[in-house]
Amino acid sequence: MLNDDELLRYSRHLLLEDVGETGQQALKNAKVLIIGMGGLGSPASLYLAAAGVGHIVLNDFDHIEVSNLQRQISYQSDDIGEAKVEVAKRKLQQINPEIKVRSINKTMPEMQLTMELTMADLVLDCTDNMASRQLINKACVDAKVPLIVGAAIRFEGQLMFFDHSETDSPCYHCLFPSSEEQTLNCSNSGIIGPVVGTIGTLQALEAIKYFFGLPSGIKNKLKLFDGKSLDWQTFTVNKDPKCTVCGQH
Amino acid sequence: MKIHVNEQTLELAENSNIEQLLIYLDKPLMGSAIAVNQEIISRSHWADTILNEGDNISLFQAIAGG
Repeated sequence: MLNDDELLRYSRHLLLEDVGETGQQALKNAKVLIIGMGGLGSPASLYLAAAGVGHIVLNDFDHIEVSNLQRQISYQSDDIGEAKVEVAKRKLQQINPEIKVRSINKTMPEMQLTMELTMADLVLDCTDNMASRQLINKACVDAKVPLIVGAAIRFEGQLMFFDHSETDSPCYHCLFPSSEEQTLNCSNSGIIGPVVGTIGTLQALEAIKYFFGLPSGIKNKLKLFDGKSLDWQTFTVNKDPKCTVCGQH
Repeated sequence: MKIHVNEQTLELAENSNIEQLLIYLDKPLMGSAIAVNQEIISRSHWADTILNEGDNISLFQAIAGG
């Protein structure tokens, strides 16, 4: 049941036919793990907290640097040197004291990630490197936890959603099978704040819709965003029967 | 036959497969993802996916930034 404060706080959700009190209660019960608290994780976590996702776990090993502030909108100049997850946690609790936020200030070893996944309904991959992305994908496939992946570089964004609770779901590895490959990241290629912000915001939107029980526009799809033309391209991702991560399941 | 790669038209030998296209374009096999008519073709099917006249090919790289 929602209390009086919550009824008021979420009144603009409650007005929506697709949401109502049932939808808001589903958000309140939801447990989301956000891995990576940079340019994607900042807006994603702010929106999930504001929306009333009841349990949010923030994971990042990193500290705030001045070069982060151009796009990582959870942080301000006073925060330089502090742990991202601690500052973000404080901010989320200020936005919404009704929710629970937990922080993990390190790179999780595989065993800890597996343990965290037993407590998560959904994961947002907001990381900035291929090795983490492959590790998170594999852990989510194994634990059968749905995964919303965002990535951005320069003026480009990528967005996808794999519901690993379904056995025939494709996975990130079906699409990008190598962790060795030369991939682009923000520190070697540059990034525009609103581009990474757009992708992080859409990760939050898809997460909220998932808990409301609304169909996703990106399930088993890859969306490419062009921040110059504002064009989107949509591709279908099929399960690769030979995928070394999800193929044998 | 004519195909379209990232919205540019190019002439390719009949019965070419995706792997041959990437070699022809001199693109690295490792870092790329490829879609034929908006459908991603997984790497294990690159050699046995034959391209057809008029196919729309999208070729792009994984990005990891965030």
